Amino acid sequence: MGLVGIATEKILSSFSVFLFLTIILLAVARRISTSVLLFSLQSAIITAEVLATGFQEKLASAYLVGILIFVIKVVAIPRAFFVLTKRLKTVHDVKASTTPSQSVFVVAVMIYLSYAAVHSYGGAVRAPGDSLAAAIALILTGAFLMVSRKKALMQVLGLLVMENGIFLAALLTTFGMPLVIEIGIFFDILMGLLLMGIFMFRISDTFEHLDVSKLRRLRG
Amino acid sequence: MIPVLGAGFILLFRNPRFATRAALLVGALEVLALGAVIWQVHLQGELQEGRYLRADALSAFFLMSIAFVSGIVLIYSSGYLRHTGEGRFSSPRWFYALVFMFLFTMISVCLSANLGLLWIMMEGTTLASALLVGFYNTEGAIEAGWKYLIVCTVGIAFALFGTIVLYLAAVKAGMSPASGLDWISLMNAAPGMALDPHLVKLAFVFVIVGYGTKIGFVPMHSWLPDAHAEAPTPISALLSAVLLNCAMYALMRYDVIVSRTVGPAFSHTLLLIFGVLSMVVAGLLILVQRNLKRLLAYSSIEHMGIIAIGLGLGGPLGLLGALLHTFNHSAAKSLLFFGAGNVRHNMGTLRIDGIQGISRTMPQTSAALVVGGLAIVGLPPFSLFISEFAILSEAFAQAHYLVAALFLIVLSVVFGGFAYHLFRMLCGKPGRRPENARLIPSEYISMGIAALCVLYFGVRIPHFFNVLLHEAMAVLR
Repeated sequence: MGLVGIATEKILSSFSVFLFLTIILLAVARRISTSVLLFSLQSAIITAEVLATGFQEKLASAYLVGILIFVIKVVAIPRAFFVLTKRLKTVHDVKASTTPSQSVFVVAVMIYLSYAAVHSYGGAVRAPGDSLAAAIALILTGAFLMVSRKKALMQVLGLLVMENGIFLAALLTTFGMPLVIEIGIFFDILMGLLLMGIFMFRISDTFEHLDVSKLRRLRG
Repeated sequence: MIPVLGAGFILLFRNPRFATRAALLVGALEVLALGAVIWQVHLQGELQEGRYLRADALSAFFLMSIAFVSGIVLIYSSGYLRHTGEGRFSSPRWFYALVFMFLFTMISVCLSANLGLLWIMMEGTTLASALLVGFYNTEGAIEAGWKYLIVCTVGIAFALFGTIVLYLAAVKAGMSPASGLDWISLMNAAPGMALDPHLVKLAFVFVIVGYGTKIGFVPMHSWLPDAHAEAPTPISALLSAVLLNCAMYALMRYDVIVSRTVGPAFSHTLLLIFGVLSMVVAGLLILVQRNLKRLLAYSSIEHMGIIAIGLGLGGPLGLLGALLHTFNHSAAKSLLFFGAGNVRHNMGTLRIDGIQGISRTMPQTSAALVVGGLAIVGLPPFSLFISEFAILSEAFAQAHYLVAALFLIVLSVVFGGFAYHLFRMLCGKPGRRPENARLIPSEYISMGIAALCVLYFGVRIPHFFNVLLHEAMAVLR
């Protein structure tokens, strides 16, 4: 088989490792820009996986979805993040509530849990165990990021990582849902991000900061 | 057909300055259109439009709820907005445009035949209402809006995962990928999916957590008190009365599929757990509330718990009670929120200790609050008594004595709490003389309609409503 075929095989068998790498790096990232770049890299890896699957299974819709992911998650969203960071004049620190070593420990536990989960449900799906574990680990990491980072931008990033994980899980187990639904989901995510951007502007205008742990006026 | 109409009118609409009149017109048209759909469904059994839209008796029932509440909310808003200033995204124009987008997404939820479309539209409701929640641009409103957006989006992401797992189970059981998310096909193929109960159960767990976030089940309810309290009053009414019902509708659709596949025990047990938990926690928290709208928000959580218990019990009375309760709660809650809005407008604050003696200064509003308060705690002759009684009877009939006991205890606690708070507000020397305590026509009409409904339905249920109710129940069995 040709070069493309070999590349496809390599991608499919090893991409989960790269995803784990990005997860661990996200746990220790100290600047917002680094985290955004890692997210961009993650999305690029997922794009590669989508295109490789499309090539192998001869699914035309997979190509379209892959291109969509690339355009939206690898290019547009990170650009939007950078623009936002500049316009909001935020400090670059990620304001994590856990030290880097603690974060790595938590992420490692989560990776272990994802493998455990896949192992118990293992027979039900036809995807290789590694990739599914990667997807679940992404979801858990996204949740962890949302909880442990105090900047509004990082919360949104955590949400995006989570969506990445869910999307990957969907892709691996079912080779994608009907195309219209996928596009609808993308559209929703985009609108959601737009709204979050609007809100972030309002937060920084009203509160002069983007630290969501300080938004504690409403309680009880 | 109908959602497209709704959206189309919104676009027409950014231009005119006399937005309020246009809004009322569009609202009236919307209500008529919904009425037409409901009537057709009643005559024909069900309507199908293309691959993605479908209306059956259950949809018709919820659509009626939506039509009713949105009608009175629009009437109320026309008067309420007279004192809102301009601002980015904060003018009356934007208000109505956003409200109609919000309505569009909610109507589409009830009309979707495809679980994927259902999900997209549920996410859409969050997006459409987030700007409405943060409408006032105050510190509290922005915080509430952000929390709402984030928590609900995460919740919906979980629901997405659940939907995907269900799709997976369907495809594995042999359904074609294209129809794996179609509700009717899933209903028909349900017994076939019983070969893989674990996946279906997993799907339902994620779905109940996900959509439960939007319904306001404890412990996923953190956004609800903030959002309902900080939003403008008509929006709070819409959120409490309609959005929570739509989310419950989505959950119902999943519950039926899962019940057919692995038997009702699993999903119903989960529903009961969440329902009782929501009731108990919300009921207890009602006692310590200091803000009127937060009090009402926790009451909404409690009532959603009641509906969940009704669903979880199953059986004819349980289902009847649950469905009837969705409507009754909407009517009573709208009435209460309208009254609260009036209080806020006249007294300048919503803090319960800051409001005293309104029975003397604002007699009509306090009458509305009293009527609403009596209704919402479930006293006869109001309609909520009927639905709660039905659910309670079902609990006894099925020998779920613990559930019934908790139900009664929480209801008494809530009664006590409401009585306490209401008394503090009604009696005592009035602190501040409000400038204008009379109700203007828009408020009169909307509150009057809601109050009448609540009263009337407690005495007898109109025939047509009854028929629709039973048809909806038939779909759920």
